[in-house]
Amino acid sequence: MKGLFELAWNEFKLNLRDPLMVFWSLAFPALWMAFSVVIFSQPIPGSGYEGLNYASFLLPGSIGLVILSASFIGAPLTLTNYRENGVLRRLRVTPVKIATLVFSFSISQFAFVVVGILILFAVGKAFLDVQVLGSWVAFSGVTVLGMVAFFAIGSAVGSIARSFRSANIIIWSMYMPMIMLSEFFLPIAILPAWLQPIARALPLTPVNTLLRDIVYGVPLHDLWRLGILGGWTVVASIITVRFFRWE
Amino acid sequence: MAAVVECEHVTKRYGDLVAVDDVGFRVEEGEVFGLVGPNGAGKTTLIEMLESLRTPDSGSIRVLGLDPAKEAQELKERIGVQLQTTSIQPNIKVREAVRLFASLYRRPLSNPEGLLKTLSLEDKQNSRFRKLSGGQKQRVAIALALVSDPQVLFFDEVTTGLDPQARRTMWGLVKDVASRGKTVFLTTHYMEEAEHLCDRVAVIDHGKFIALDTPQNLVRSLRGGSKVLFQVEGREIAPSEFEKLPAVSRAEKVEGGFALFTADGDRTLQELVRLADREGFRLAGIRTESPNLDDVFLTLTGRELRE
Repeated sequence: MKGLFELAWNEFKLNLRDPLMVFWSLAFPALWMAFSVVIFSQPIPGSGYEGLNYASFLLPGSIGLVILSASFIGAPLTLTNYRENGVLRRLRVTPVKIATLVFSFSISQFAFVVVGILILFAVGKAFLDVQVLGSWVAFSGVTVLGMVAFFAIGSAVGSIARSFRSANIIIWSMYMPMIMLSEFFLPIAILPAWLQPIARALPLTPVNTLLRDIVYGVPLHDLWRLGILGGWTVVASIITVRFFRWE
Repeated sequence: MAAVVECEHVTKRYGDLVAVDDVGFRVEEGEVFGLVGPNGAGKTTLIEMLESLRTPDSGSIRVLGLDPAKEAQELKERIGVQLQTTSIQPNIKVREAVRLFASLYRRPLSNPEGLLKTLSLEDKQNSRFRKLSGGQKQRVAIALALVSDPQVLFFDEVTTGLDPQARRTMWGLVKDVASRGKTVFLTTHYMEEAEHLCDRVAVIDHGKFIALDTPQNLVRSLRGGSKVLFQVEGREIAPSEFEKLPAVSRAEKVEGGFALFTADGDRTLQELVRLADREGFRLAGIRTESPNLDDVFLTLTGRELRE
């Protein structure tokens, strides 16, 4: 694991210099939360959540958005970009190992997600009076599992995609359905019956629903949902290991 | 003394194309070894097999006694590499890149940032890589190749695409590296570069070595040798008069004077001066032209190097 910390720290700094990363994972989720509060002001009926203001209802989805954006812009676009431009090739003639490289990317991305979440909380506390009734330990635990799963998915996309452009297409074709179906603001209960199992199988759904349960202080009875997250993590990791290419 | 690089019967195919065809050679410690040939001759394929980026189909390769295919990890700790197109993270700063690459090695230089001074990159240390000029990028590439304090360096077309001044600078840097006792293996398609830098040169064409010697010996091996050019003042004289001089194979009247083709330029020159004294004419604008490696390549292959 020689160079792990240096690689991670560098990648973190490079993310901060990347306008795409800064906008989509640091600024956009907070903006999305604030605009939604202004426009809708209350949850869509049928969500089953009551007792907190709308900003608190939106908080889990906004955190999901930070994870989604950081993972989908970070690993896949960085990997394909580095591959196309020969950065990976240059690293390949150093003694660095693939595991170190991938691990360092994950650390820097996790750090980025944490910064994004802190910004959300800062904005939420300062202007929108967000509240979390449940356990912070559970809240952090679900967030971390979400980050791990989405980093794995992002790396898998980055490993499969032949080019920066095709990575982009794969990412957006996954991004949009999750925005609509993963309980960001539309409850799964109001979706057509045939669509509901699909919505539940998406990796972001368990993150959003479990975080929302914690925000509202609802007992966590649906922990089987973590299995969905685990399944995605395992499959994506296998794809990454199997298809990772330096060139 | 152990060879730093040792190849025997190395062959690499891509489909029907034989990129490297049964090549064998040794590079000794401290040597600057050049691989010269036109584009597509197999230079990059060969150097990348030494760097463990590609594996040969057959034959054996040893670099620092290690097999690049099987002992890549250990080998990478001990070699320094400049790839033909070096690209690092576009937004990384020069100083950050040097530090980062040093952190990847077990035994890096104790002060890797000192390379910034050596390579005149000090005032660019906080610039992002993508904003550098071609020559500056290549100097960063050299710095990154040196951070691990390697025993042997591989430079793949280190001056391609650089302007003449940046190329001269790069030559100075390569010579400087060599003067510190490091072994250098480089590829180039500039003969003058090979002549200027290399102790020995291998000429490669269609994947095969067609010559391997010191630049001086390669040039000397050319039949025809050098050319003596001069003007005659004070008298009309026929070219055939000069063909009687020793070592001269042919004499021609050229624009502005005469050209003598000789196997021994020095002797021809002496005899020419004597002849002028004897016959009572004056010589002006005397110069000799020696063949260079470009002529060697032309003689060996019948083609210009850069066509």
